[in-house]
Amino acid sequence: MKKRLLLLSFFTASVLAASAQDTTKSDPPLIISGSVDTYYKYDFSKHSNIPTSFASDQNSISIGMIDLGLKKKVGKAAFVGELSFGPRGQYQSVPNGDGAALNANNSFHIQNLYVSYDVTDKFNLTGGYMATFMGYEVISPVGNFNYSTSYLFTNGPFQNPGFKATYAFASTVSLMAGIFNDTWNAYNSAGKMNTFGAQLMVSPVKGWTAYLNVLSGEVSGTEFDLTTSYQITDAFKLGLNAADFKPAAVVGTGGFTGVALYPQIAVSKDVTLGLRGEYFKTKNGTYLTAGPAPGSSVVAGTLTANIKAGPLTLIPEFRFDNTKDVNDGFTTSSGLATKKASQILVAAVYAF
Amino acid sequence: MPYLYNMKKIFFSLVCLFCVQVVSAQKDSLAFDEGNNYIYYRVIDKPALNADTLYKRAWAFAAAFNRLAKPAKGQVENTLNTSGKLLVYTGVSLMRKEGGEISYTLNIQTKEDRYRYRISNFVFKPYQRDRFGNMVPIPGVEVPLEKMEVKYGKKYTDNYLDQVAAFSINAYAKLKIAMDKLPATVKTEPVKKISTQNW
Repeated sequence: MKKRLLLLSFFTASVLAASAQDTTKSDPPLIISGSVDTYYKYDFSKHSNIPTSFASDQNSISIGMIDLGLKKKVGKAAFVGELSFGPRGQYQSVPNGDGAALNANNSFHIQNLYVSYDVTDKFNLTGGYMATFMGYEVISPVGNFNYSTSYLFTNGPFQNPGFKATYAFASTVSLMAGIFNDTWNAYNSAGKMNTFGAQLMVSPVKGWTAYLNVLSGEVSGTEFDLTTSYQITDAFKLGLNAADFKPAAVVGTGGFTGVALYPQIAVSKDVTLGLRGEYFKTKNGTYLTAGPAPGSSVVAGTLTANIKAGPLTLIPEFRFDNTKDVNDGFTTSSGLATKKASQILVAAVYAF
Repeated sequence: MPYLYNMKKIFFSLVCLFCVQVVSAQKDSLAFDEGNNYIYYRVIDKPALNADTLYKRAWAFAAAFNRLAKPAKGQVENTLNTSGKLLVYTGVSLMRKEGGEISYTLNIQTKEDRYRYRISNFVFKPYQRDRFGNMVPIPGVEVPLEKMEVKYGKKYTDNYLDQVAAFSINAYAKLKIAMDKLPATVKTEPVKKISTQNW
């Protein structure tokens, strides 16, 4: 009896101590956040056709990843370390540790690993291995509305290791400029740090943010990107992503260009419906994309719902892609070339 | 008998702890104003001090309380307004992280021998984790504190209300010190010294 009471006392005291921390204003000692995701996909051709970065498995309950982010800030200095485990968090989004393409067992699991320092309230310096600043969609399923990914995301950079400086002129305007490794999506450079990157953020009106991005280097090529979203009303949000990429001369000719529109409407407190309409073109040249053949294009429509139950989001999705040419890679269930591909999926994402 | 005595002590401790728990539900310090908006409101008597003196002290407090925003004179005489924001957190212990920020307006009005203090216009801006692992505001989403329960549920709302109330109480305590012109007390702990000569 006595032991139980003592145990109860300790438990009560610990709960009180924890709740007391809630009301302090100091930074938490260590912030842990992340997500887990799982999905089921069915392509109507009975095999995977659409080259989405994740949700790759056909007719299977499959896992995405468990994503664990750690952040600590003391005074002006901070670090972020983000680890991921699972197909989405390993070979589908981060390079293998030794750089060997077939060595999928040798992952460092690292999505973000960087340190930063606030020189002033407006000026920040950051260096390390960072998620790319380009594009609308991200690797974490928590940061995306749609579960399958756009062609622009799949063909753009995922990570850019480097060093960057960000200056906030005001809460509505900031400029980032940095020098990054010569290649995308690699933990180390191929010998040079000669990719220049910059991002201009403007917020012309309340609820509207726009990012003008550029990334250019002798090996990585040059990509211009516009990413913007506008919360027009409490219920309606409109997003847009447009990009143009030209590979470096040593890599090839051509590149890609595309635009995606993301209208989303909240139909209730817990349910939001969204559409992604995308046009993506592979330019004439020798550079190959995860998409249509050089000179051809694809139009893709994705209808997605986000149904929230606390930290859990259920994501049913229907996607239909239509290529310009019959020989752009899609095949029917009997293996014949076709212009059309469609799939349904249901994903569950838990964020913490 | 010693066993029973210990049990009584443990029971007494538990009762005390639960009392502390009840006291820590600080959201009860908030009230609704005439427009049904949350407000933290206090009227304080300050005998033998005129309105101008109190106003000067209040102005100095407001300027120091939030250095990012300059206080502004109100429309009514001897009134000032300033605004700011506080971070609010979700989760406990290691799972604690920024859930968003709540902006507010702080208003102080002085009269002969008294002043009043209120914090109101609370608006919540939720945070989300960005691609770099930082918690940042979701652009364009703002929810008045009064409408939070409809959108986020009672559990989240009560947690944030507690934090808003704690912030308001803390600000009120600082204001009282500033208005009383009391120097801030610095708690100094005695340095523990031992002699290594005699042993």
